[in-house]
Amino acid sequence: MAGAKVIPNGRRLYCNCPFCVEIVRNFMDSSSTLIWRMLATRVFRLVGNRALSTSICLRGGHGVAKVEDYTLPAYFDRRESPLPDIKFVQQLSPDQKSLKEKEKGSWAALSKEEKIALYRISFKESFAEMDKGTGEWKSVVAGIFFFIGFTGLVVLWQRNYVYGDVPHTFDPEYKQKEVQRMLDMRINPVEGFSAKWDYENNAWKK
Amino acid sequence: MAHPTQLGFKDAAMPVMEELLHFHDHALMIVLLISTLVLYIITAMVSTKLTNKYILDSQEIEIVWTILPAVILVLIALPSLRILYLMDEINDPHLTIKAMGHQWYWSYEYTDYENLGFDSYMVPTQDLAPGQFRLLETDHRMVVPMESPVRVLVSAEDVLHSWAVPSLGVKMDAVPGRLNQAAFIASRPGVFYGQCSEICGANHSFMPIVVEAVPLEHFENWSSLMLEDA
Repeated sequence: MAGAKVIPNGRRLYCNCPFCVEIVRNFMDSSSTLIWRMLATRVFRLVGNRALSTSICLRGGHGVAKVEDYTLPAYFDRRESPLPDIKFVQQLSPDQKSLKEKEKGSWAALSKEEKIALYRISFKESFAEMDKGTGEWKSVVAGIFFFIGFTGLVVLWQRNYVYGDVPHTFDPEYKQKEVQRMLDMRINPVEGFSAKWDYENNAWKK
Repeated sequence: MAHPTQLGFKDAAMPVMEELLHFHDHALMIVLLISTLVLYIITAMVSTKLTNKYILDSQEIEIVWTILPAVILVLIALPSLRILYLMDEINDPHLTIKAMGHQWYWSYEYTDYENLGFDSYMVPTQDLAPGQFRLLETDHRMVVPMESPVRVLVSAEDVLHSWAVPSLGVKMDAVPGRLNQAAFIASRPGVFYGQCSEICGANHSFMPIVVEAVPLEHFENWSSLMLEDA
């Protein structure tokens, strides 16, 4: 790494951000007794400076910039990408931890329930559960019918209380005369209205 | 006029209108085929159980779905252009009528031989004789001889109107200060209704057009009668 700072125990600092450099410098410059510093240095070497930088710097931003939620690895259930970025269960209970240890051995030794438990650690839904759907459509259709019915009520009210009478040309006798006149005038005689009337027998064609 | 619940075109009384009917059937069939295909593809995409949906590159299908629409468009364009030029053919009209739009009535002038002119107002609903069509009847009809080419010169006296008779396949805007020519041949006798087709004020819906096609002798009788009355 270019420009990496070298601290006294010979290890390079993993991260050069001012935050991490400051921590390490403060640590090294602290005026505690020599023996404490030696102990601390050994512990530091054991744990590794990567742990220090990892806890602050894993998520980018180097502890300075804000890291957005959506840029972090997330879990998802999607049929076309079957392997999500991270496991579903991140903090394992002691039972689950021992199960994970057992997984390192032969898988034939695992019982069916244990295999299912391991699956549920890694994944939230099985494929069958993913495909099942939610039944939300029933609520949507019910809402549609409700509003159509409500609109029907509004229209009925309008018809009774807002609109006036229709013209007299809508009376059945008038309509009868209109139809007779249309037939007499041979309206649409080729394929339409008058084409369906049998003029010889004075009836509609069968 | 249209019969109740009619959805399609009225029967044609003009040869070009017949052509337009057939072309409309042809184009609508193509449109329905394409729409059905697209609807089917959408349902198939949405309800598939397959998981690999991301195709990145394919030359063959891209060639197909470029060439095929071009072919379909040519199949639509050729009949369309044919009818377009058919409508513009030179015809030798036997009669010229001037249709002038006013607010809110039409006036017709037959000035080839004598000076015949009259106004055509809509018959109000309360004055209809039993069986007459509401909002479509007029007091004077434009009578033309059947099976004769007729030229109509459409214009307006005040605002924009539009002289339209669907059975005859005519729709021509009436522009003040401009003469627009439309031509038709009534292939069968009958009464053909139309309505003003350009918004022209309060009574735009109430200035209909009625064309009556009759044999030549009847037309001559009618014009003599009208000249006497004038």
